[in-house]
Amino acid sequence: MGYIEGIMISTCINIVCVCGLTLLTGYVGLFSMGHACFVCIGAYVSAILTKYFGIPYGLALILGGSVAALSSIIIGYPTLRGKLSADCFAIATLGFSEAVRIILSNINHPYVGGALGISGIPHKTGLLQAIVIAIISIFFIYNYTRSQHGKIALAIRDHADASELIGVNIFREKLKVLMISAFFCGVGGGMMAHYYTYMVPNTFGAVMSTNLLTAVVLGGISSVTGPVLASIVLTATPELLRFMSNWRLAIYGFVLIVMMRIRPEGLLGHKELSLRPLLNLYHKLRSKKINTTANISSKKGGN
Amino acid sequence: MRLFLQQLATGISIGSVYALLAVGYALVFSVFNFSNFGFGSIMMLGTFAAFYAIPLLKLPLAVGIILAMIVAGIASIIMELTVYRPMRQKNALKLYLMIAALGMNTFIPNFCIQIFGGGVRAFPSEWAKSVMTIGSIAIPRADILAAVLSIIMLALLWTFLYKTRIGLGIRASSFDSNTAELMGINVNFVAVIIFMLSGAAAGLAGCFYGMKYSVYPNMGTVAMKGFVASTVGGLGSLPGAVVSGLLLGLLETMISSYVSTTYRDLVAYGLLVIVLIFLPNGLLGKGIHDKL
Repeated sequence: MGYIEGIMISTCINIVCVCGLTLLTGYVGLFSMGHACFVCIGAYVSAILTKYFGIPYGLALILGGSVAALSSIIIGYPTLRGKLSADCFAIATLGFSEAVRIILSNINHPYVGGALGISGIPHKTGLLQAIVIAIISIFFIYNYTRSQHGKIALAIRDHADASELIGVNIFREKLKVLMISAFFCGVGGGMMAHYYTYMVPNTFGAVMSTNLLTAVVLGGISSVTGPVLASIVLTATPELLRFMSNWRLAIYGFVLIVMMRIRPEGLLGHKELSLRPLLNLYHKLRSKKINTTANISSKKGGN
Repeated sequence: MRLFLQQLATGISIGSVYALLAVGYALVFSVFNFSNFGFGSIMMLGTFAAFYAIPLLKLPLAVGIILAMIVAGIASIIMELTVYRPMRQKNALKLYLMIAALGMNTFIPNFCIQIFGGGVRAFPSEWAKSVMTIGSIAIPRADILAAVLSIIMLALLWTFLYKTRIGLGIRASSFDSNTAELMGINVNFVAVIIFMLSGAAAGLAGCFYGMKYSVYPNMGTVAMKGFVASTVGGLGSLPGAVVSGLLLGLLETMISSYVSTTYRDLVAYGLLVIVLIFLPNGLLGKGIHDKL
């Protein structure tokens, strides 16, 4: 039971992080190569807050997320203003995440612990908390994308110049989405720190960024439920396929290429998974049943 | 003073590796307006070709380097033909091209780790390892070779781009690929040439990097510094790429010898952020805004 519970908790943590990234990659179309650094910042801040300052778990998660969001301005401000090429943003995120990792590995303050990381973080992320936070983040992101903000984001992705002409402040919108996505990654990081109870800076490397991006791309750009579903699948499958775990990254890379070549919008691109088709089917079947019974009874009546 | 000269020599040699990589990025960006993030893995493939061919076939170093350039060029062309071109023809969003490139940058090195093993190896050349003394400073031959061959390669590239008909076609395509196509330039042919040249530059840079440090499947990450250099110099600008590649190499060695070696890798990204804040177009860039 503990094993299944562990998988479920790490799935929930992944869902929270992926929720943030899907908003950035899928809706505004900004390509981040280093979102793991926001996970890292959130994890460190919230772990230090709970371990040394005794701040309650929920508040620490929010503060960790907020610090991650503020730190995202450091790369957001120089690279998103003035319609710079999207490549600058991609390389800056990569550089920032490397920088965060190098700096955290070399700070020898006892709170941070350098390359040895932090251990003995209070274990606070239970299954219930993880599921509740995951559901709240899915709810928030889903509603954000359905709102006016989400529509503006899509407009920027598909035609930045046209959306600017109708009065969208592209810089502000992009920065806003970047901060929101960093916030969710930070919260996910906080949950991770309080679940594993220890962490080292090297956990938050390029591998984690690639994992997050794979979930977003596989699940579907411009969809919220798609990436959520994909992150469930991607967290559960490696556990089942332990014997080929060495090939996992190679397979992820291959999946990214093939998806982009064949179906760049992802498995559920522009669609949401919902219960509506099932409900419709159910209603159809029911009405058919009623009709046939009605026919039968009318026939009976005719006789 | 001796320390300074020594660092200057090291800086120029690593800077010329960065300059080659940056030129490779700049070539592709100048025509297609996107950055080939799969560049690092091309460099790695070329270096591995030389690494295996030199001891197995008893090739001299020069032939090995040329082989690395050819293999990297072919790998680069395959990448263009199988992934980038079909996507460009479908008018895919730039985001999709970048994700596919990142996919290649994840797939190829990890595939090679499974095939060749992830260990760190020494480049098989005794000649390059020996050290020459000029005046009071000692320079490994590999460093001199890197600087000289990079300059030759860049000069050849410049001649090709500015003195030949194909080069004229490439420059026309980089100015406006749609109009160039209307004027009868075969843009697909130009694309193959461009990817071949950038792949060859990557193969050359990979060999020097392998000689100077070591050969391993994840060595492609150094290409990111080449990308930083090409951004700092102005995306798509070839002179900018060369200047800022050398600048980056010099800054890195100077900072690691006079300030701290721990933060050596931060130099590149710090420089990137500062340049983007104060000179958004790079040092020598024309406008790098996304085109309409």
